[in-house]
This record gives sequence, structure tokens and C-alpha cells, in this order.
Amino acid sequence: MLLYYFIFSLLISLSILFFKKKKLSNSLIIVFLLGQIAITLFAYQHIDQTDSAFFKFDALGILFTMVLSVLSIASFYYSRFYLDYKDSSIKNESYYYSLLTLFIVAMTAANFAQNMAILWVFVETTTLFVAGLVYFDRSKIAIEASWKYLFIGSIGIAIAFIGILFISVVDIKNGVMALNFDELIQHTKQLNPLWVKISFLFILTGFSVKLSSVPLFPASIDAKTVAPGPVNALMSTALINVGFIAVFRFFVVFSHTDSFLWVRNVILIAAISSLIFSAIQLFKVKRYTRLYAFSSMEHVSLVLLGLYTGGIAYYAAILHLVFHSFIKAGLFYQITGIKQTYHSVWFKDSGNYFRIRPIDALVVLLGLILITAIPPSGLFFTELTIFKGLFLSNNIFIAILSLLLLTVIIYIIAKKIMHLLYGAQPKTYKETTNTSNRYAFIPVLILFALTIFIGIHPPHFISELINSSIVLLK
Amino acid sequence: MMTVIGIILTLILSVLFPGIIAITKAKVSGRKPPFILQPLFDILRLFRKTTIYSTTTSFIFQLAPLVYFASVVIALLFIPFFGDTGVFSFEGDFVFFAYLLAFGKFFMIIGAMDTGSSFEGMGANREAFYSLLVEPAYFLLMGSLALLSNYISFAGLFSALHFNTDLAYLVIPVSVYVFLFITMIENSRMPVDDPKTHLELTMVHEVMVLDNSAFDLALIHIAGWLKFVIYGTLIANFLINGQESTLIKSLEFVGINILFAVLIGVVESFRARNKLAKNPQWIIMLSALAIIVFITTLIITSKLILN
Amino acid sequence: MDYFFILILAATLVLFALFERVKKFIFLISFQGILLFGIALINLLHIDTLELVLILLETIVVKSIIIPVFLRKLMIQNQLKRVHEVNVPVFYSIIFTSFFILGSFLLSSFLQLPNINSRIFSIGFASIIFGIYFITIHKNIFSHLIGYLIIENGIFLFSVGVGSQMPLLIGLAILLDILIGVLIIGIFVNKVKDRFQSIDIAQLSQLKD
Repeated sequence: MLLYYFIFSLLISLSILFFKKKKLSNSLIIVFLLGQIAITLFAYQHIDQTDSAFFKFDALGILFTMVLSVLSIASFYYSRFYLDYKDSSIKNESYYYSLLTLFIVAMTAANFAQNMAILWVFVETTTLFVAGLVYFDRSKIAIEASWKYLFIGSIGIAIAFIGILFISVVDIKNGVMALNFDELIQHTKQLNPLWVKISFLFILTGFSVKLSSVPLFPASIDAKTVAPGPVNALMSTALINVGFIAVFRFFVVFSHTDSFLWVRNVILIAAISSLIFSAIQLFKVKRYTRLYAFSSMEHVSLVLLGLYTGGIAYYAAILHLVFHSFIKAGLFYQITGIKQTYHSVWFKDSGNYFRIRPIDALVVLLGLILITAIPPSGLFFTELTIFKGLFLSNNIFIAILSLLLLTVIIYIIAKKIMHLLYGAQPKTYKETTNTSNRYAFIPVLILFALTIFIGIHPPHFISELINSSIVLLK
Repeated sequence: MMTVIGIILTLILSVLFPGIIAITKAKVSGRKPPFILQPLFDILRLFRKTTIYSTTTSFIFQLAPLVYFASVVIALLFIPFFGDTGVFSFEGDFVFFAYLLAFGKFFMIIGAMDTGSSFEGMGANREAFYSLLVEPAYFLLMGSLALLSNYISFAGLFSALHFNTDLAYLVIPVSVYVFLFITMIENSRMPVDDPKTHLELTMVHEVMVLDNSAFDLALIHIAGWLKFVIYGTLIANFLINGQESTLIKSLEFVGINILFAVLIGVVESFRARNKLAKNPQWIIMLSALAIIVFITTLIITSKLILN
Repeated sequence: MDYFFILILAATLVLFALFERVKKFIFLISFQGILLFGIALINLLHIDTLELVLILLETIVVKSIIIPVFLRKLMIQNQLKRVHEVNVPVFYSIIFTSFFILGSFLLSSFLQLPNINSRIFSIGFASIIFGIYFITIHKNIFSHLIGYLIIENGIFLFSVGVGSQMPLLIGLAILLDILIGVLIIGIFVNKVKDRFQSIDIAQLSQLKD
């Protein structure tokens, strides 16, 4: 079924690119989104079934594809405003839409990939599309960011491929190349501990570009600084989920080996150092996009801490990613509004948002409350669970250190956003009469409401999906 | 027996060597070639002149050419000739050989410094630097060959060098290549130094002997020729190790040396000299290649076992 | 016999450190493609026609024809300077490179890794380390692309050394992905040159806060 989905989306993407008709593009995008929803529902219907030889509709993939589908609808909705604001030509517009479509397809494919090499292929593909989308702005910094993302991403992915090669060494003597995750789990007894250790290092390094954690985070942060808002919303949510899925699948395999303790320690180091880096870097940031990007990094490190802790924290970590996706996407959609008002995303050009655009400002304030994990935010429950796990597993020092860093991070984020909302009106601000997106805040509010709702009363199917995705972990 | 023939051949060849190079260069550039013994006549003319010493120099300056000449002549006696040992031969003689030449060179360097000329000091500086850089290449190469043949004397080294494994086909060409350019550097020839240059600032070897005259200069020139043939003989040793009769071996030996001289002539005609600043990196490249030869020999001798 | 190709490959790494001209880089990339073909052909466990075609496509067609031709086009279009500056003097680079090579051979001999062809592992390891080093010492993005290609060659060697024979479809997908990646990186080199009038990496530092 996925194969048909690929062909279908490829055709849509190509026809958007070639016909360059506004009406046609819009209707094709609606068709694509329907297809996206259809494949998500199809996957949910056919849970745990193999599809198109290299794919499998497993629980984690389905969960993240659901998030992706919801966000891709919103992203296309906001792309309209973004493109109107940019006043871009129909040629650029079709380029943008066609790449965005393919980007979503690649992420869907990566979510469902059951074969290591195919997972690798699609993660690499997302790099190429993201670079194209970041380049959309065509300014100098856009070129710089897309070059860095493309180059560091490609090198990182190449390093991850070494890890995949090393792990596939298992059982090669018998002529079997264990490239499927399910097969690999059955063969973990034959894995050489040395190979396991080295390959996990390479894999974590390689996918850290997507995950935006230590060590290769700078490229992804730079890309998020200049990417168009709607693309950014996908990059810092769905793409992080893809990176997480890639690491998590290997993590599940390694949980069956004797080197699991080592793997967990590597995860811990990555998590703590990401937290430290983001805390330090946040002192220096001067742009809202960068602020949000580092905030994503902070949440990823919390998720990694959850992976380290284990037990109930696995559940919390995955749920944390879901919440983070909705909230962070909402904040990035609001960036377009800020840009329209101030024509800039720099702190120094902004202020007094509450007077200029009261409703949008209220939404941003709500976003701030949610992203800093203040109840009723769903993140509150997940973070609480992760830290509870840390305390219960006698990692008191780590827990205290991360809580301290978290305090610093929350303080900075709150301070900067308060500056936007209540700060003095900047001298550069000019009154504009552009009110084309008066109702643009509604989808963001829906996303935020979704977070609160799932946090307070998680639907049965979500907890079931998460539970069945961590059932293989030891 | 072989050694005596070898030394006689070497002496004859050393007289012809510069002539052959000059003829080749003239032919390639379309000039009328000089008589083959013209360099010899130049030397004989030098012998007839009186030596003049600058008043600022000390006895070292007078001693240096003699020591240099003596070191080269003694080094010649260490060279093995196609399977036979040299006049002197003992374990580790290739180390002695290298330091004998270095000893002579050291005297040339301090002799050049002794004159107090800034040009000569500069030339001496460069010469010392290049010799320093070329040393790892020489020792890595000889060490690899020693490892390969299990002998640590020149004679044993070359006698046991056979094409017995596939990889020897890699070792020998690369060794010859590296050795060829070690020769060029040690003799201050083309890629690092141009003997025909007219600007003191860019000279290396020529500038060191600016103050030497007559007898001393003649000795230095003769030592230079001998050095050429010494290295030519070493290269020939890489290539000749069959069981043929003495006559054929001698012919092969003469042939390889003449070919070597022609090769130098051709290289000098077609290749521009390196920039001075690029010389060190070019020389160290030879050492890097020698390391590859070293790895190869480690593999051949199963010191480095790679499944 | 494969030692022969492996050691020549090691020599090309030394030459990468020695040369400073774009033209020679392109030649060496192309030459490495041929060497990779030789190594892959010798180490294939069981050759069948389809796999032979894939290997041929991967090494000769892509690595030693398509990519070098593309690089050459880039070089001419952007009128790249003939000589590319480096941060570290070439002299030291050569010393480092020879230590990388020697070190990786000694390492793989010392480790005696199971399940892997350690001759190819050693040169692959050296290539990857050298590729990363090459990227760090060069100041312009075209050379970075060359470094990336060296790393890719190292990874290809790894995959041969592991004895991995991917299913044909996956092999093709990976090949296509890498090729498109290289082409897009090349196009971005063009864009950077157009926009910044230079391909020096020092230009690309405006994003920092």
C-alpha cells in the first residue's frame, strides 16, 4: 500500500511542480492531504503488518505518523499565509509546495521503515528536501543555513551508515544479512559487544542532526533559524520524531544485548550535554526562531533522559515527543504572525505585541505556558514522570543537575517571550494594515487544546500505541 | 672479482655520467651536443689552477672538500655489485653508508658557513634541511628491505630481494621511484634544485661552493659524479639479481646506469623546478610513500596479519 | 592481489594531501573509483550478473565517470582558483596522513576484528579519517565536497569489507540517494558562489548569534 502512496504523492508533487497553476496546486494539495490521512488510517487498521516488503506498520510509526499528518494539514494551511506574506511568484510557490509534499512523504516512509538501509535512505532524503526548503528564502543566510544543513547532514548520515554496516555484520557467516529490525532482535545473542558499542556511537552521532542533540546539533539549529515558519514547524517536530524513531529502533535492538548499560550511558551523556549546550546557547540567542530551536533541543534531551531512565519513563518520553510536537508546531506557526508584524524575528525589533495584536499575543502566552511545562500542559505530566523515574532509580545527582539547567532554560525562554509581549514598542515598528490572517490563530489553539486534552485525559488508542511500542524493550 | 670489475666500471661511468646528461639535454632541446668528456676536461683545467682561500676562512674551509671527497670514496667501497659484497661489508653497513655521506655533507655545510657569506649560509641551511627531510625516507626504505630480506647488510639485502610474492611487484617499483628521487635530492638535481640556475637566492648546492676554487672545486665536482654513480648502482642492484654470467650482468649494469643518466637528462629538460617553499612537502611525500612500502613489507612478512 | 589496490589507494590519500590543484583532486577521485571497482570485484563472495552490474554502476559509472565529470563542470562554471588554500601546511598534512594510514593498518591488525575483512577495514578507516581531516583543513566548500566524496569511498570500502550484499533494490536506492546528494551539494556550491562571489567557508558565518 505504501508503494501506491509513494507513486501517488510523487505524481502530485511533480504535477504541482510542472503545471504551476495556483488553483490546481491547491486542489492537488487537498488530494494529497486526504491521501496522507488515508495512509495513516490504513496503517492504524493494519497494525503490525508488513507492507511493500521493507515497511511495517508498527505502533510507534503509526503514532508519529498521526502527529505528522495533523501537523502537515496545519503546515499547508499556514504555508498559504507565509507565501502571501513573502509575495512569492507562482514558480517559487510550486517549488515550495512540491518539496514540502515530498518532505512529508519521506518522513512518513522513514516512520514505517522496517529495514535499516531503507530507514537510512529516507532519512537521507529528508536532508535533501529540507535543504531545498530552507533555501526557499534565497537570502544569504538561507544559503548558508541550507549549505550547512545539507553538508553536515550528509556527513552525519554517512557516519550513521557505518553504524548500520557494523550492526549488520551479525550472522553474515550464515549468509543472512540481518537488515530487518525484527530479525535483528532475534539474533542479538550473536552480536559482538565491540561492534554493538561502536555502531551505537555512530548511529547516535549520525541521527543527531535530525534529533538536534549533541554532537551534530548546530546544523539543525542554523537551518531552523532561517527556515520558513510552516517548514520549521515540521522540522522541529516531525523530523525530530523521525530522528527519535531511528535511534529508538536501534535502542530496542540493543536493549537485548549485554552492552545495554553502555548504550544507556551514551544516551545519558548525550542528554546531559545537550541540556548543558542548550542552556549555555540560550543566553546568546537573539532571534525567536533560534530560541524555539534550542527549546526543542532541551526537550529532546529530556526525552533522551527518559530513554536512559527506563521503565515508566519510556512511556513518558514518547508521550513527551507527541506533546512537544503539537506545542512547538503551534509556536512556529505564530512566528509568521510575528514576522508580519515586525518584519523581523530579532528580539531587538520586537515588543508590545499585546497591544498590537492582542489575540495572537494571548496565543503566544498560552504557548509559553505550555512549552515551559506549567500545568495544564501535557508536558508537565511527562516531565514529572521522567524525573520521578530518575529519582526512583537513584540518579538523584543527574536529576538535580537537569532540574537546575531546566530552571535556567525556562527563565530565559520566559524572559524573551515576555519581552515580545510586554516590552517597549520598538522604534522600527510601522503600522501595517495587513489583516489577511485574522483567524490564523485558530488551528494553533486547536493544537494547544489537543495537548491539554491528551495530557489530562489520554485517549485509549494513544496509550495503547505507546505501550505496544515499548513492549519489546527489556 | 665482481667487486673489482664493478669499481672499475663505476669509475669509468662516473666520468661519463655528466657528459651523458649534458648530451641528453642538448639533444632534447635541439642544441649541438658537447663532447662526452667535456666535463672531464673542465675538471682537468681546474686542477691546473692555483687555489685561492679567502682571508676570513679558517682551516675548516680547506679541510671540507677533502673530507667530502674522502667520505664519498669510502662510501663507494660499501656498495655491493650485483650479488657480490662490496669491499667493506658488515651488518648494518647501510646505516654506516648513510652517515658517512652525511658526515661529508656536514663538512661541506660547516665549510660553507665558515666563509661568512650570507648566500652560502642560506644554501647550507637548505642543504641541511633537505638532507634531514630525506633521511626518514631512506631509512624507512632500507628498513623495509631489511625486513623483507632478513639481512641487515647491503649485500644480503639485495641478494635476497626476489619477486617471490605478488606484492614484491609493488615494493620494487615504488622503492625504485623513491630511491630515484632520493638520488635527485642528495645530488641537488632537478625537482628540488636546478644546477643551472644563475640566481644565488634560489640556489641550494651551487651557492655553497661559490668560494671554492681550483683543486677544491674539482674534488667537489668529482665527488658529485661519484655520488651519482653510487646511487645509480644501488638502483641497479634493485633490478639485477638474476643468475646470469658476469658479462651480461656488467652490461646490464652499464645499461641501467646510462639509462639513469638519460632519464635525469630528460626529467631535467621537461620538468620545472619546484618552488622553494614547496620543496619540503615534496620531499616528505617520499617518506609517506616509504611508509606505504613499509606497510607492504609488514604485510609480506606477516608482521601485520590482516585476515 | 587486493593488497595491490589497497596500497595504491593508500598512496592516493597521500597525494590528496600533497596536491593543491582542483584538477588533480578530480583526477584522484576518478582514479579511486577504478581502484574501488578492483577491490569490490576481488572480494565479492559470489558474483552473479546483477550484482556485477550494480558494482560496476556504483564504482565505474558513478564514482569514476559521472561525479568527476560533474565536478569538472562545476570547476569550469565557477572558475575555481587553481590552487586551493589550506589551514595546515601541506608538509604537516602529509605527515599526518602517513600516520593515519600506518595507524589504521596497525589498529586493524591489533584488533583482529571478527566477521570483517580487516585489510579493507584498515584502508576504509584511513579514508574516513583522512576525509574528515581533509574537510577540516580546507577553507573552501568545493574541497569540502571532495572530502565528502573521500568519506563516501571509505564507507563503500567498509560495506565491501563487511561483506554486505544488500538486496539489489536497496543497493540501488542507496546509490541513487548518494548520487543525488552529491549533485545537490554541487548545485549549492554554485549558489554560494553566485551569491557570495566566493566559495570561502569564512563567508558562511553570518548565522552565529
